[in-house]
Amino acid sequence: MPGVELAVTGLVKRYSSHVSVGPISFEVMEGEFFSLLGPSGCGKTTTLRCIAGFEATSEGAITLNGKRLDHMPPNRRDVGLVFQNYALFPHLTVFDNVSFGLRLRRLAKREIEERVARILEVVGLPHLASRYPTQLSGGQQQRVAIARSVVLEPRLLLFDEPLSNLDFKLRLQMRSELRELQRRLGKTSIYVTHDQTEALALSDRIAVLSQGRIEQIGRPVDIYEAPETAFVADFIGNSNMMEVSVEAKTRSGTVMRAKSGLQLTGPVISEGVGSSLRVLVRPEHIRLRATREDDTPNCMTAEIVDFTYLGEDVHLRVAIAGGGELLVALKSGRATRNLECGRSIELAIDPSDVHVLRK
Amino acid sequence: MQIASRRPWWLLFAGPYGLYLVILLVIPIAQIAAFSVLTYSPTRIVARELTAGNYTRLLDPYFVQLFLRTMRLALITTVICAVLGYPVAYVLARARPSVMAVGLFLLVVPLMVSTVIRTFGWTVILGRNGLVNQTLLLLGLDPIRIMYTETAVIIGLVNVFIPFMVLPLMAAIERIPPSLEEAATNLGASWVQMFARVILPMSYPGLVSGALLVYTVSLSAFVTPVLMGGARVRVVGSQIFDEVLVSFNWPGASSLALVVIAVTLILVFLALRLTRNVARGEKPS
Amino acid sequence: MSVRRPVVLPVAVVLVYTGLLAPLLVVIGVSFNAGGGFDFPPRGLSLRWYSTFFASTPFVTAFFRVSLVVGVLTAIGATMLGALAAIGVVRFRFPGREALEAFFLTPLLVPHILLGAALYLYFVRLGMKPSLLTMTLSHLVISTPYVIRSVTAGLVGIDPRLEEAAMSLGASRAQAFFKVTLPLLRSSLMSGAIFAFIISFSDINLSLFLSGPGTTTLPMHIFSEIQWGGDPTIAAASALQIVIVGLLILLVQRVFRLRLMI
Repeated sequence: MPGVELAVTGLVKRYSSHVSVGPISFEVMEGEFFSLLGPSGCGKTTTLRCIAGFEATSEGAITLNGKRLDHMPPNRRDVGLVFQNYALFPHLTVFDNVSFGLRLRRLAKREIEERVARILEVVGLPHLASRYPTQLSGGQQQRVAIARSVVLEPRLLLFDEPLSNLDFKLRLQMRSELRELQRRLGKTSIYVTHDQTEALALSDRIAVLSQGRIEQIGRPVDIYEAPETAFVADFIGNSNMMEVSVEAKTRSGTVMRAKSGLQLTGPVISEGVGSSLRVLVRPEHIRLRATREDDTPNCMTAEIVDFTYLGEDVHLRVAIAGGGELLVALKSGRATRNLECGRSIELAIDPSDVHVLRK
Repeated sequence: MQIASRRPWWLLFAGPYGLYLVILLVIPIAQIAAFSVLTYSPTRIVARELTAGNYTRLLDPYFVQLFLRTMRLALITTVICAVLGYPVAYVLARARPSVMAVGLFLLVVPLMVSTVIRTFGWTVILGRNGLVNQTLLLLGLDPIRIMYTETAVIIGLVNVFIPFMVLPLMAAIERIPPSLEEAATNLGASWVQMFARVILPMSYPGLVSGALLVYTVSLSAFVTPVLMGGARVRVVGSQIFDEVLVSFNWPGASSLALVVIAVTLILVFLALRLTRNVARGEKPS
Repeated sequence: MSVRRPVVLPVAVVLVYTGLLAPLLVVIGVSFNAGGGFDFPPRGLSLRWYSTFFASTPFVTAFFRVSLVVGVLTAIGATMLGALAAIGVVRFRFPGREALEAFFLTPLLVPHILLGAALYLYFVRLGMKPSLLTMTLSHLVISTPYVIRSVTAGLVGIDPRLEEAAMSLGASRAQAFFKVTLPLLRSSLMSGAIFAFIISFSDINLSLFLSGPGTTTLPMHIFSEIQWGGDPTIAAASALQIVIVGLLILLVQRVFRLRLMI
């Protein structure tokens, strides 16, 4: 069972009197790929820099493998940092860049050469040792940056939005390479990003941050399928969020009515009749219903108000006959081929896809 | 947007100053080049006889000593300016904008005030009853005689010309992204190691610029050596002044001037070569 | 916490700035000395040396009728010559452009004292006696490169598409230049002019050779007064120069938000 590698407890970062981050607490397990996800200004980069030692914490503790980290100077922490713009030394070759930390430790020349050669193999750049960073592509530069940190065998790897400078296709490619590399190396990694797709694809667990506080920590599937707060629901993926009041409770579910007049049947919940709740339905959980289907709960007739064709997907905004509007995401196919604005369609939502937000 | 048209409009713009420089820079320098090979005559000052004597006399021990002394003072000044200037340039380059603005202001104002005034201030500080000696007496120590020594001249030159070192260095350091410093630190470097392995090699062109500037102005300095060193510390600058305005040995002065100009041009050329070699590893735009 | 910096850094900063500012503060302090010598700290405060300054014909002439006049003339001349030259070199393409650009900056390579000597001999040869004209002509040589640098930097920083936009709206090339680019160059021109003034105002090395009776600049007069002993009137004159230069630099930094490039 993997143990706790990094523990952040009650971390607070203050700039003059204004609290920028915290208090936040989280733990990262050994070998885990842990993401800090949030919009700009949410404090994810500040938190990362506190772990790396480039920001001093105002309150709280950071421990790495049981030892206090936040008391140590930034050049003595057993933590590797991969920068957003890679921060490769332009006046040094790839070899000298990667061996930089090793040379500072006064290791034997032989050992340095071996370790550098090995790590360059691991990241797939064995033949570029004598090139200069300006001669490398973006993806290659990133791999050198990772090699430079990993060759020192730190306990923890930190990534500061390393893919945001790359164009789309390259970003996707580097994303899967990064994940594979991390798995192969088995290094505990903390990854900062504002891109939710990236976080979902790469992470074992994600911490969603907003305005310096943690909104939710969980596995990607938990964050996506069971967001706990409105912010998380809104930030991750698209959503239909509604304020509803509980009208009736049955053995199989709960009848709710939204402010817009729409009636929904959700799963069995503990809250009583008359309570106010916020619920979320993901657009891709709303499906087209064949007209001859049994009376399943949450059947509705809707008129297409807006229609966007996205190739793989089709996004609709529909006006429900009973009141209200919903966003619907369908996969392109035979059923969607004849859809257009103004058409009337039949939709259905499974009650278990009506997700109640706790906060 | 650059214009290339058939009519040479550019002449209208670049012409006046170009012509100005020819008339008031090129020709005067050509004239002293001419003078340097003519003969000095006590009666007519410049006699129309070609001679290499003005240059050969520079091989006399007096002139050799003069050059060596001047170059030595300039070199020491440059080294001290580099050693002191680098830390100041670094602090300024990494300072908050408001602090940097104040720092720059306090650097540029002295630079732009006339060297006479600044050196005059130093004569008061280092004089027999000056600030330094007053402090020493207060502390119960003996007063020192610094004025009219080479040390005084160096103190004067360093303090007058150090902005010429700090400004290009600062500009060079500013161009180094702070993330490189953080990367080096994260990889285990102390500040000194980071400075030596990242800042120094990357700001090297700034150092060359600064050293070139400080050395050339120190080499040809006149006011500071005269006020701080008097007759005891003669430099090339004071020699030229004397030969032009006191002994009217214009051919002699011309030869001296040309030698200094030649040395300056060689140094500039060397500096350009040095910085071009560094550009190979520089980051792109 | 960032990176831990060694103690040597603030020590060097203190040393350097003390060395830069101490002479200026000492001079200003001496100028207020109630006593007769160059005492620092001053023995009692008084404005006597300032009144002596304004009562002294040579000082007043040097300040108002020579240095200020030559400074203003130099500023105007350098700005006109330099702006034209910078525009010519940045905005036009012609063979030898880069060589000309380098040539324009050569005065920066010639040590001032040598230039002073050369120009002195030149004017003698031309039969021109020392005058405000010869002084201004000489100062133009050393000041104009600074205007060129300032205007060049300003021009390079102006998006060329602004002029193109103006032309797409109907302006001729000249109109686009005068209505779009020139106003944007205002701060480069003003700061170039101010630097040209300061360089002329502070110059000593050219003045050494080119001063004459009635055409002695303030720094030159200060220099000769120092050599002949002198009294704290020198300090008063110097203090005035320091304040003027300081205010002008403040103006450039605050109002025009520009930095000096040497």
